[in-house]
Amino acid sequence: MRIDPNDARLTAYALGELDETEQEAIEHELLHSEAARQAVDEIRATAEVLKKELGNEPRLQLSEGQRSSIERRFRPAKRKPLFAPSRVLYAGGAVLAAASLFLVVYLNWSAGRISLENAFDTDINGRIIGRASSPRTVVQESPKPVEVISKQSHPVQQTPEQVPTKSAVVQLDKERRGGGIGTELIVRNDAALQSLVQAAQTGQKEIVASSAVATPMAQPAMLKPTAGPGGGAGAHSFLRKFLLQDTASVSQGYESEEQKTLRDKGSHRQNFNTEAYDRVVDNPFLRATQNPLSTFSIDVDTAAYANLRRFLSSGALPPKDSVRIEEMVNYFAYSYSAPKNSDPFSAQVEVASAPWKPEHRLVKIGLKGREIAQDKRPSSNLVFLIDVSGSMQPPNKLPLIKRGLPLLVEKLTENDRVAIVVYAGASGLVLPSTTCDHKAQILAALENLESGGSTNGASGIQQAYDTAIANFIKGGTNRVILATDGDFNVGVTNQGELTRLIEEKAKSGVFLSVLGFGMGNYKDSTLEKLADKGNGNYAYVDSLQEARKVLVEEMGGTLITIAKDVKIQVEFNPALVGAYRLIGYENRILRAEDFNDDAKDAGEIGAGHTVTALYEVVPAGKEGDLPGIDALKYQKPVATTRESKSGELLTLKLRYKEPDGTTSKLIQVPVSDRGTGWAQASRDFKFASAVAALGMILRDSPYKGNATLGSVLELAEAGRGEDKQGYRVEFIELVGAARGLVEGRKVTD
Amino acid sequence: MKSSETQDQGNDVKALLDRFQGPLIRYALQITGDLERARDVVQDTFLQLCSENRASLNGHLEPWLYTVCRNRALDVRRKEGRMNPLTETTAEPRSDSPDPSVSMEQTETLGSALKILETLPVSQQEVIRLKFQNELSYKEISQVTGLSVTNIGFLIHAGLKAIRQNVLAQPHANSKVLRRIK
Repeated sequence: MRIDPNDARLTAYALGELDETEQEAIEHELLHSEAARQAVDEIRATAEVLKKELGNEPRLQLSEGQRSSIERRFRPAKRKPLFAPSRVLYAGGAVLAAASLFLVVYLNWSAGRISLENAFDTDINGRIIGRASSPRTVVQESPKPVEVISKQSHPVQQTPEQVPTKSAVVQLDKERRGGGIGTELIVRNDAALQSLVQAAQTGQKEIVASSAVATPMAQPAMLKPTAGPGGGAGAHSFLRKFLLQDTASVSQGYESEEQKTLRDKGSHRQNFNTEAYDRVVDNPFLRATQNPLSTFSIDVDTAAYANLRRFLSSGALPPKDSVRIEEMVNYFAYSYSAPKNSDPFSAQVEVASAPWKPEHRLVKIGLKGREIAQDKRPSSNLVFLIDVSGSMQPPNKLPLIKRGLPLLVEKLTENDRVAIVVYAGASGLVLPSTTCDHKAQILAALENLESGGSTNGASGIQQAYDTAIANFIKGGTNRVILATDGDFNVGVTNQGELTRLIEEKAKSGVFLSVLGFGMGNYKDSTLEKLADKGNGNYAYVDSLQEARKVLVEEMGGTLITIAKDVKIQVEFNPALVGAYRLIGYENRILRAEDFNDDAKDAGEIGAGHTVTALYEVVPAGKEGDLPGIDALKYQKPVATTRESKSGELLTLKLRYKEPDGTTSKLIQVPVSDRGTGWAQASRDFKFASAVAALGMILRDSPYKGNATLGSVLELAEAGRGEDKQGYRVEFIELVGAARGLVEGRKVTD
Repeated sequence: MKSSETQDQGNDVKALLDRFQGPLIRYALQITGDLERARDVVQDTFLQLCSENRASLNGHLEPWLYTVCRNRALDVRRKEGRMNPLTETTAEPRSDSPDPSVSMEQTETLGSALKILETLPVSQQEVIRLKFQNELSYKEISQVTGLSVTNIGFLIHAGLKAIRQNVLAQPHANSKVLRRIK
């Protein structure tokens, strides 16, 4: 063999990047190839020129103010992070033990790297003047250094659980976090700590790891936020400072005057939350005369609420764009009556005054999917497609999947089939499609899943769909359930490939459910898109409780689609409606003509699902304060029909397709306003408006009116009702937690 | 000596700032395209370091700084909608590496490796700068950018080749003729 002078290994060799074996191989080749020797020389020479030129670039500096802000904050502490001076004490043995584990991890890792110090020579200014060329440097394969790096920040953030706090919710989450991180370490390193962590977890309703553990590579920096530095007084001060920022700000692990400085510097100051959320702009008020039709696709996703809970529980306000009001409102079930006729769902509309702006009317549209009793449920053909890549190791990922999916399997019967496909670097069918009278076999297969390797989503999804199609049950539920953290790290192409594949495969009649696990919703927008493409739904599972809600309580809705491409169009009567605004659903808006276009994809509704949408309506004649446009020169104001005098406020129109249908059906419901005040409205109305109001406050929406966290609390209490599952109580606790944060700020200011 | 240097590195803020502020701002600038934002990003990076358990960063402080800096810079850029995050668009090696002759045209007046560097795809520039300006190893660059070591090796190799075909051919910045011959 003669090495090609254009071989990339020659560059690696010239730059000292090869390990010993490879290096010897190259050196051997060099003996025989003049061209290769010359290439190496040239590479080195080029590198020198390049370094020199790069070194000549003007030196950039921080401003004096920036520099001194850093110097003030910087303490030469070796063990104690600045803002948790007593963490180690609080945390006691667990943290010390954990810290020593980090050390182990780190040592393993650093042993596999070129020592930085060896690799550089620096001049007196600390500038790097050259790299000691050391072709002999040993570079070993190291286990995912990237992950290790992100873990380094955990010891800093994991201790707040020891600090007493007033809020039970906050407390609970901090306990989770500590436990989660501990377990994560153990998974990798030390079984001895396991019992310790389990002990710490007992007494909790659920064992969950912080989602902050998620997405190792992408954001060591953002691992901070949910942790918040310290608890007690420290936490309060942190939260106060944090809240000085605009509400979109997601905490950083630091605070204090620097934040203020930064804020004062101007509005361009960005909040360094690296989680990816698509920008959401509140729907504006539209005049009924100019835009009589409002059209949107339903959305039964609930992930944004689970995400919001994660933020609030950890003492931070969520980033604005992560607050999707429709997902918050739809997280809760409402007691709408079931459809009486053959329609797959019923529609109910309630109108009362808007609690945050009593002169406006609030229209609540509620859809209720037909309930399908457990024993009438059509047979299911499920394929679990499980991401078992290395990033799935944390306890809030694969281990949670392994505990969550059995809850679903337990509910299945001999008419149902389950197959399991895993994907990582390679994909494979772990369990061929198996009927659920062999539950033990299915459960054992789940139990035996282990994580490791990189993530290659595409071949897995292919195999999962192939398996689903091979076992297709006509008239039954055919569904791939994808459980992943969304971290497709083998290559970004796989992500695009995955989306395309799913879009393609959705045509086969196999539906998709995407369960996002412990990813801090970093890939939130991606997973939501995957679900949309795959005719599916998307839920963010951060806890066993959430797994139970999604997979057991809402199994019907999650698994059985009773209508697809459900679109809502509302026609407002300009005689009564001056202007209106759809609250939430910003990314679900359709054009008016899409309503009747059956080729236009829209949301699915599952058995027993409720879907709720809210419109805020400005009565005709009171829209004066809205930004208007000049009167038209060439047209008269719209002519109204006889129906406009009918007293109807609006007509609700719904279009849907049967799950296997291709043509849509239409339902129309005329709605009148009886002038009810919100205090007389139903509990569901009050609760839904409380949820929407919280969303508007957190989004700092210009339309929040006089809504305050206090009024949200009252409204939610008034709307709580029976609340068998405790979801509404949990919401009330979250509002309380949010209020605690905000009021803490006001006291000091 | 090395270990004590490492500790100093973690504790002497002035030395840390002196050593890293320039390269970090330069790096952030490549991503954000705006010097003020780049400075903000680097300030935040250091502030983040302040609240970090620095003992745990010993020995890999540098890639840590670059990683944090990069994530924040990308975040700034993403939020400002200036362009798409480069990891999502250009992470794969591009086959349309600049035609050397095209690069040469641009180089004629400027005659520097940097000018050729600037004609390369953004992700390739980033990797090359991390290697030759910031002196990170392939592995560290992999950590910072999330690209694979192989991919990085390829990007650097191809980038250097493009540069060397133009630069080495021409020891003196103005001798166009020589370069053309090569």
